[in-house]
Amino acid sequence: MDTSDFGHHISSRFNEDLDRLRNSVLAMGGLVESQLQRAVEAVVRGDSELGLAVARDDQRVDRMEIEIDQACSRIIATRQPAAGDLRLIMAIIKAITDLERIGDEAEKIATLATRLATMERPADRYRELASLAAQVQEMLRAALDALARLDAKAAVQTLAMDEQVDREYDSITRQCITFMMEDPRTIGRVMNVTWVARSLERIGDHAKNICEYVVYMVHGRDVRHLDQARVARELARPTAEGQG
Amino acid sequence: MAPGVLSALGWRVALVFLAALFLGLTLGGLAWWLFAGALGLFLYLAYAAWGLEQWLRTGKRRSEAAADGVLAAVYADIVQLKQRARRRKKRFNRLLREVRDSTDAMHDGGVILNADMEITWLNDAASRLLGLDRSRDQGQHITNLVRHPDFVAYIEQAEFSEKLKMPGPRRNTHLSVQLIPYGNQQKLLIVQDFTREVRLEHMRRDFVANVSHELRSPLTVIAGYLESLGDENSLDEVWREPVTEMQRQVARMNSIVHDLITLSRLEAAERPAGQEPVDVPGMLGQLHRDALARRERPGELELRLETPALVRGEEQELHSVFSNLLNNALRFTPADGRIECRWWQDERGLHFSLTDTGIGIPEALIPRVTERFFRVDSGRAREVGGTGLGLAIVKHALLRHGGQLEIQSRPGEGSTFTCHFPPSRVVLPADEVVQDAGEAH
Repeated sequence: MDTSDFGHHISSRFNEDLDRLRNSVLAMGGLVESQLQRAVEAVVRGDSELGLAVARDDQRVDRMEIEIDQACSRIIATRQPAAGDLRLIMAIIKAITDLERIGDEAEKIATLATRLATMERPADRYRELASLAAQVQEMLRAALDALARLDAKAAVQTLAMDEQVDREYDSITRQCITFMMEDPRTIGRVMNVTWVARSLERIGDHAKNICEYVVYMVHGRDVRHLDQARVARELARPTAEGQG
Repeated sequence: MAPGVLSALGWRVALVFLAALFLGLTLGGLAWWLFAGALGLFLYLAYAAWGLEQWLRTGKRRSEAAADGVLAAVYADIVQLKQRARRRKKRFNRLLREVRDSTDAMHDGGVILNADMEITWLNDAASRLLGLDRSRDQGQHITNLVRHPDFVAYIEQAEFSEKLKMPGPRRNTHLSVQLIPYGNQQKLLIVQDFTREVRLEHMRRDFVANVSHELRSPLTVIAGYLESLGDENSLDEVWREPVTEMQRQVARMNSIVHDLITLSRLEAAERPAGQEPVDVPGMLGQLHRDALARRERPGELELRLETPALVRGEEQELHSVFSNLLNNALRFTPADGRIECRWWQDERGLHFSLTDTGIGIPEALIPRVTERFFRVDSGRAREVGGTGLGLAIVKHALLRHGGQLEIQSRPGEGSTFTCHFPPSRVVLPADEVVQDAGEAH
């Protein structure tokens, strides 16, 4: 009687720890989302002050990464989690690295925004960049939602969005090359634009990674480096160890 | 109505007892007959109880056999209870459905959170505005799905009397949310969509800013020509006066446009004003000297600097606050009046007050004087000049510094305008260096 009560106590504390861990990862995700949103806004509106503020706030993201990393190590050391719990923690350790990288890319975009703000603005006000950014932001949001809901199906759907992002990135690059060939005076500005697009594309890749960790967390299947069709086949295969 | 259990049982016991007595007396062995009768009664009761139990378990309709057994009354009561419960359930269901339908019809989103900030219920609008999934998100921590840092900070604080404005999860949406604690640590989260308002406000602001900018260049051209025209010696004397008047009016239009641009810049700035220490006492001293140098001014013009404290903020904006207030006072105070400015500090922050013995403002109009182009006495105000935008600029500039404008006035006696700056923006000249060093950690 006594021992079972004791055990229950420990496991509920453990559950609380895991919940808190998940909450803080998603809080970090929220911060990164808003960093990205503000960085994109700084580019589109040519707001150098906002760009500087975003670059400054990146250290908050870095701090959160370190905190969560330590919390994960502590849980592994003190609780020795197994199966699903271990997968959750492993996935979180990987996800925060990707989130931190997204934060870095957002910082890069913000710095480029301060540089672009001093240059001549094109007539279309970076409409292509804004559209690519909208897709990437949506992808990041969907990835974090999937992480919050532990929804592997949504995660797989989000993986598919990356293709569209890549296509749009390609078209922006081609367009930039055309601009530079037409008028070499714009090279300085257009180079900055390609870098922003490049950062956005990288963020899409990191969001994709997060989705793969969600699949790993839920199904225990590693779907990294697989193409769409094989991901679907991999998930359709019956599990040997069950859904634990 | 079935007979009660006691009466139903009573006549059965009496009958069995009489029969046992009769048989025992006529055939002998009375004790055995009585025992057999008691046993029979016991078995009968056990059977009836078993029947009741079966009926309750299977939940079938009341069987005909049970209807006239010993427990008929119990059956009847239970059936009635069941019917009543069924009716009540139906009523509750209907009520619940009505509540659900009406909350789903609401434009504002509502989310009920438990003590751990987990979602326990939400309506249609909330799932639409916050991007939540009603069927799956119950039990989720709210900040896991609504992740904006401002929202997370808002949820973590203990005070929810203010609304929070934040961008929504869908692109280009703006939400205003408020948390209302109630009951046993539960909380209701109200979510409102004010995207349309934000858009209209942006449009209005952009329009004013654009119009002002567009007006500036034609005005410069007109002013230039009028100036050379006024300097022209060959100008007919008849035209001398109209040209001077035109110059005055162009100058007025110029200052209106200038004020409009200042105002729209203040409004468009979304972040609070900067944090540079601004030497307000020095600024007030300069304004005071300028005012003293004027030809037309009230006889008494006093400035009392009671603290050397500085304010963190934007120098240009603070300058327009003080110069607008002072110019207003100079304009509306007669030559035999008096103006007194005071700069002081207390535990609630820094304050600037300006008391004049001017014409004053009727109490009912005080809340309106900071509106654009609002004039207490339109004829008179135009006569003394001014753009009608001064106090609006003061109000907005103070808001950007976390400050407030307080106005007390009595018609005919004069007015007091007080600017309050919060303690967070106070810098003492001595610890300016120390504070800068302290910011590093």
